[in-house]
Amino acid sequence: MSLLEVKHVSKRFGGLKAINDVSFLVKPGEVTFIVGPNGAGKTTLFNLITSVFHADSGSIHFEGRDISHLTPNGAAEIGIGRTFQLVKPLRNLTVLENVMLGAFLRTSSASKAEKEAAKVLSFLQMENVANLPARGMGLPTLKRLEIARALATQPKLILLDEVVAGLPTSEAIKLAMLLKRLPEWGISTIGGIEHVMQVVMRVADRVIVLDHGVLIAEGVPQDVVHRPEVIEAYLGSKYKEIAL
Amino acid sequence: MRKWQLLIAVIFLVAALFVPLLALTDYTLQILFRVFLFAALGLAWNLVGGYTGQLSLGHAAYFGVGAYGLALFSKLGISPWASVSLGVGLAVICAAMIGKVSFRLRGPYFALCTIAFAEVLRLVAKNLPNVTGGDVGIQVPQLFPHSTIRCFYWSGVLLTGFALALSAWIERSRFGYYLMAIREDQDTALSVGVNAARCKLWALLISAAITGLGGALYASMFLFIVPDQVLAMDISTEIAIVAMLGGAGTLIGPLVGSVVLESAAEIFKNIFKEAHLLIYGVLIVVVVLFMPEGIVGTISRKLAWFKKAPSAPFATAAPVTAEEESQRTAINQ
Ligand SMILES: Nc1ncnc2c1ncn2[C@@H]1O[C@H](COP(=O)(O)OP(=O)(O)OP(=O)(O)O)[C@@H](O)[C@H]1O
Ligand SMILES: [Mg+2]
Repeated sequence: MSLLEVKHVSKRFGGLKAINDVSFLVKPGEVTFIVGPNGAGKTTLFNLITSVFHADSGSIHFEGRDISHLTPNGAAEIGIGRTFQLVKPLRNLTVLENVMLGAFLRTSSASKAEKEAAKVLSFLQMENVANLPARGMGLPTLKRLEIARALATQPKLILLDEVVAGLPTSEAIKLAMLLKRLPEWGISTIGGIEHVMQVVMRVADRVIVLDHGVLIAEGVPQDVVHRPEVIEAYLGSKYKEIAL
Repeated sequence: MRKWQLLIAVIFLVAALFVPLLALTDYTLQILFRVFLFAALGLAWNLVGGYTGQLSLGHAAYFGVGAYGLALFSKLGISPWASVSLGVGLAVICAAMIGKVSFRLRGPYFALCTIAFAEVLRLVAKNLPNVTGGDVGIQVPQLFPHSTIRCFYWSGVLLTGFALALSAWIERSRFGYYLMAIREDQDTALSVGVNAARCKLWALLISAAITGLGGALYASMFLFIVPDQVLAMDISTEIAIVAMLGGAGTLIGPLVGSVVLESAAEIFKNIFKEAHLLIYGVLIVVVVLFMPEGIVGTISRKLAWFKKAPSAPFATAAPVTAEEESQRTAINQ
């Protein structure tokens, strides 16, 4: 059975069709990456899956249940975690407290939440900053903090919106290798990414290509990147040099 | 740091319990009652305006409903303390209704909405002479027939102690984390499953209960109330200012704020007569401009900086800052 099922979903903002009749499936334990240039609709799609927005038409199912009209906190409760492209830490709390906030979804005990948060921080190799306020952290740490907070909610599916954007390539690849281990925790991943193909090729089981809100290709990464419609119509020369 | 704050506050409150044993005039005790009453009100407000970051400027609504509840229920023949409980219940019900509507709004619109509700209640109280006595006012029963002033004073100290203990407990609980998360970034809070609407409402209900109780005590102290006194904007702003002066979102801030503000107000009133309001206003402007985190917030930040200064966090040495990333994306979209 599929974990997430997106069926003919559309969303407009005024005259703009941000998501146009998009359908796809995510299986348990799978890492899917949604690639697409600026404004392709990746963030909008994540906002639809987490009920920040509701689709104009179509439906979204999670573990067989229709979740098209949930609330954002309801989506987290049923096991959908997310990160924000524009990092949203609680700046006046410490890194550890930020992650505890996620862990509180599954326990009301502060000491249990702290243990869970410490576990997640050690997985993401950020124990050394645990007790510092989030305020002073640089982007690489804040991007990891986004992931840590979402992981602490013990999700079944995690949506990672541009978690490697803006990072130096070496840092992006290091992070990607950690993400590759998420299925060991029983967590499926959907990543949204603009163009860091090295990461996609290393981590993704499946790739979905979005262009102006339309799903134009879907499949295993090695296959998708060689499809002419993807190269010609969309990735263009920018991609060719990376692929070859 | 927090432990020290709590320790100082507890010592202060315990010492305060013995103050009536000194030979003070009733007038002085009455002023001191006001100090603790507003400390408790500030602590209650802090749950909503401080930890949760929802700037309520209409807490006079719960204060006034608590006060009028005591007067009206006892007019029906109910005993004074039972009337206090019913008045507190009524204040909580009002908070539920006001919260349902006003929490849909964010920022300044929320603040305006809370002011509007308090004003509506004041006008209702003014214009229902058959029920509330209108502008003429209404009599309030005496809660403490014996050693009246001392008992009011003690009940003020106890209410402050209760509000402080409750705040300390909330601050360390999941509920407290959720409130702070809502203040810092509501979208983040929602993304980890926080039911923001429900948390905000609970914070307001708790806050309104304490505020209503404070209103009832205040009313009984004066034995007679009018709408322009207990449902006035002045009450709402004074509660908020006490908390913000001391430090909104800090544990003992409202207590410190009340001690400073109420004693300053008293001193200024004696020295400057009518001009004291001006001084009061200037004091508030100075704090807002130069100490936006309040007295406690500013002091604890200075102390933390003093302690941590030598070990510069290496984590800031990242090549790209969050601000640059958000600028990049803002331009792209
Ligand atoms: N809340 C909104 N209101 C109006 N238009 C929006 C809103 N959110 C997104 N859009 C528009 O929808 C389109 C898709 O945006 P989206 O943010 O989903 O793209 P993206 O693939 O995430 O791009 P990026 O690489 O910039 O993150 C864009 O044209 C954007 O301007
Ligand atoms: Mg995006």
